[in-house]
Order: sequence, then structure tokens, then C-alpha cells
Amino acid sequence: MIGALLRRQWRHHRASLAWLAFGMLVFEFLVTKLAPETTRMQSLLEMLPPAVLDTFGAELRATLSPSGFLAFGWIHPFALLMLGVWVVRVGAGSLAGEIGHGTMDLLAARPGARGSLVGAAALALWGGLAVLCLAGWSGIALGLRMRVLDGAGAGDLVEVVATCWLLFAAAGGLTLAISATRRSGSSATSYAAGLLSASFALDYVARAWEPLAWARPLSIFSYYAPQQIAARGAAAADVLALGVVVVAGTALAFLAFQWRDL
Amino acid sequence: MNAAIETRGLGKHYGRVAALADLSLRVETGEVFGFLGPNGAGKTTTIRLLLGLLRPGTGSASVLGRPVRPGSAGWRADIGYLPGELALWPELTGGETLDHLARLAHARSTRRAELLERLAFDPADLGRRVSTYSDGMKQKLGIVQALETEPRLLLLDEPTKGLDPLVQQSFYALLAEARIRGTTVFFSSHVLTEVERVCDRVAMLRAGRLVALESVEAMRRAQRRRVTIALAAGADAGPLARFGSVTTQSGGRVELLVAARDVPELVVHLATIGFTDVTIEAPSLEDAFLERYR
Repeated sequence: MIGALLRRQWRHHRASLAWLAFGMLVFEFLVTKLAPETTRMQSLLEMLPPAVLDTFGAELRATLSPSGFLAFGWIHPFALLMLGVWVVRVGAGSLAGEIGHGTMDLLAARPGARGSLVGAAALALWGGLAVLCLAGWSGIALGLRMRVLDGAGAGDLVEVVATCWLLFAAAGGLTLAISATRRSGSSATSYAAGLLSASFALDYVARAWEPLAWARPLSIFSYYAPQQIAARGAAAADVLALGVVVVAGTALAFLAFQWRDL
Repeated sequence: MNAAIETRGLGKHYGRVAALADLSLRVETGEVFGFLGPNGAGKTTTIRLLLGLLRPGTGSASVLGRPVRPGSAGWRADIGYLPGELALWPELTGGETLDHLARLAHARSTRRAELLERLAFDPADLGRRVSTYSDGMKQKLGIVQALETEPRLLLLDEPTKGLDPLVQQSFYALLAEARIRGTTVFFSSHVLTEVERVCDRVAMLRAGRLVALESVEAMRRAQRRRVTIALAAGADAGPLARFGSVTTQSGGRVELLVAARDVPELVVHLATIGFTDVTIEAPSLEDAFLERYR
């Protein structure tokens, strides 16, 4: 049953997946073109006052290194938007979208368990994310074949890309949970887009405004810092937190969809 | 005989509104069962409860001998279902739609070509996207997907909606053949003549409650006859009222509804008072329906 459902998902989303993957590839390729030379980054660092360097030196060096700059391409709003569009499109469209369109009646009246509908949606979502992340990484690999950036290799970005996938897999789990409880694709899209935007904004504001710093862990984006991952590797606690959200969101989607009226 | 469908006190509420209340019925295997009622009577809710698409508020149901549970699935393998509001995937072709649904049913289509031919659906149109289909073509595709895997139970929610009269005839013939093969058909409809023609028994729902459950024949028999009498000049129409209820009276022409058991006595009375013409109409399911819903 899941195979048949995945085939339908592929048919439905393949064009948008192709466009989004193309966008990711071109964007990350352009990031390698726009990255400044290592010497320019070093001279930028040297221009900073010693007090600033003492406090933020490690973070700045991570950011202003070639791999740090390439990792910036994985927290840039364009890349986040591409991945977010996929998550919301597939997550909201698969369950709530089928209910709103009326086709869920035919699907849910077939012998397969309801859980297989959620499972197929999750696999399509995560698989598509993997394609997009791979396309972005391929853009970097292609760019670095055409331009040598001192000390930067596409392999350095694998962990960043994998964590980015995990971040959006978590966002996908939450979107599926929303989708499993709504009655139309547009409603699920609104809630999911709202949740992702709020989560992103919360991380941004809580970092900049001390009184709200306590709320930062509530945002899934707080567990994703690509430049630090490029410099020091992913923190196990962050990976664990995102993994928990993936599992919890997806489990919630399974449970809610299992018990609801269709 | 085994019950293909059995419900006990089945009910569903949406807030304070009772979409279905205390429905208890039994549909025997191999029976063609009609489910009648005006819009909002609870027909579609019943079918969706039987499929496990909705969770019952009260009561329980079993289908093909297995309890209906929304979470479980295996028991739906032998069910063909046509929704009342059929929605299909616009980006798929007709052929892809049928293939997709057959794969989901873990079943192989054994009758597709035959069904398409009998429903006057050009197989070449299977290559076109569903978004280009007329409502009637979509409905035919819906019927094919429900019947093509030869399920043991058919749940059909207003199946002839949008079909032209010739295709309707073919569809009735398909149902008759399905019955011969032992398929149970649970059939909701607004078209009383088709229910009368196709079904063995009917249930009538009103505001979510069962108001009648009988064989079509018994329902007809129990229904009062419509008797139209042209009285002879000077004959007194007054005493006719004791045989039934007079619905219209103008000049020497009287129309009344008479219980079957009172018809012989009425005929004897007419012979004594004199008449020029009398018509006794066989009651229809429509009469029974209208009498219950007026």
C-alpha cells in the first residue's frame, strides 16, 4: 500500500520537487562563487578590536572561514524557504489536503491501515527533503570543482547538510501532526507555515533580546547552527533534540490520524 | 443466513446535532438493500460509519462478520465503495486512477474492460486526465473502481447521480448480476423508482432515525391504494369517506386513499351506488416515501 501511495505522491509533487531542487543547486553553487578569498576573510578578522576578538573570536573565525561562509548558505532565508515550502506543501497536502479535496474517502476506504497514509506522507516528505539537501550539496561540490577555496571541501559540509535535513524533518513531523488534525489543506498550510515562521522568529528574537532568551530552546531553529557545525561538528544534544521532535511530531500525526473522523 | 452488515444502536452526533441515532439493522448476505431518506437524513453518515471513516458516538457495527474499527483495515478488503461526493485526483488519467485504486485494494481488476464497455465509457478516454472528464464520466469511473475487483460487499452512495438513462439501465443490470453472484449491495438513493426496481428491502431514515425497514413488496402492500372514481349521476359521494381519506373531490370525480383490506368492500359499495369508471392504482414506493416524510 505504501508503495502505491508513494507513487501517487511522486506523481503529484515531482514537478515542484524538481524546481525546488534546481533552486537549491543553483543557490548553493552561487554561494561558492560569492565566497570571499580566505585572505580577505583573515584581514577582516584582523581589523576587529582585540576586545571583540577575545569575546567572539572563535565564533567569528568559524563564520569567516571558507567552510563557515559556505555553511551560511544553509541558514540563508532562501535555502530555508525552499526547504520550508517542500515541508509545508507535502506535509499539509498529504493528509488534510486529501480530506479537503474529498479524495481521502477513496483512500481510507481501502484495506490499508490509516497509519500507512501517514507513513507514506512522512516518507515522501523526508525523501524529498533528502533530494533537496543533496541538490544543495551538489551545488557546493560543483562550485568547489570550479573554484578552489582554501581549506574548504564539499565533504566539510556533509554534517551541516545532514543536520539541516534533520531540522526540516522535525519541521515535517510537526507539519504532519497539524495536517492529521485539520480538515483542509489550506488550513493545515496556514497553521504549519505560521508555526515554522513563529519558530524561526522566536529563535531570532530570543538570541537578540535577553529577556526572551529563556524561550529560545522552544524553537527548533535554536538547535541548528550551521557555521558552528562546520567548525566543530554537530552537538549531540542538538541532534538529539531535533531527533526527538521528528519522532514526537510523527508519532502525534499517527495517533491523531488513527483516531479522528475523516 | 449470515449478516453482511449488522448495526446495533449505531449513532453519531456532531455537537448537539444527531446525524444518526440508534440505528439497528441487519443486511443479509446477497441482499440488495436500499437506503432512503431526504438530504441530511443520515444516509451518508451511515455508510461512512460502516467503512470506519467516522467513529460512532454510540453503538457498534459489523461488516462481513468483522467489527468495524476505524483504526483497523483488513476487513475492508472485500468492500467496493462509491462515495456520494466522488472526488478524484485531477492530475491522474482515468487509467492511472483505476490502477492506483486497484493497487491500494491489493486486488487485480478482472472486469475493467467489460465494465467500461457496459457503461459506455470509451477506453481511449482512460488516457485522458480526469480533470478533463464530465461529471457523468467521473461517476462511471467511480462505478468501475467499485465493481472491478468483484468485492463481496458494495457500498454505493447515490450511484446513478449524473448518469444518463441508458447507462442507468446498464448499471441496474450490473447490480442484478452482482446479486446473482452473491454480492451484497447497500445502496443509498433519492431515486425511488430505481430503489423499487433494484432492491429487495429498504430502510427509510428521517432526521437520523430509522422510520421504516421492510421489503419493497411489503412496503407497497402496506401502502394505501389510490382509488379514483367517476360516480354515476346522482350518486352520493359522502359515504365514500368511511373507506379511506378523500384527497380530492370535484363534481362526480372522487380520489381517495384506501387501505388494501378495505378495497373489496369499497368496490361492493360502488356497485350499489353506481359509477362510470374506477381506477385502482398499485401503490408505489414513492407513495410510501411521501407518506412517511410529509
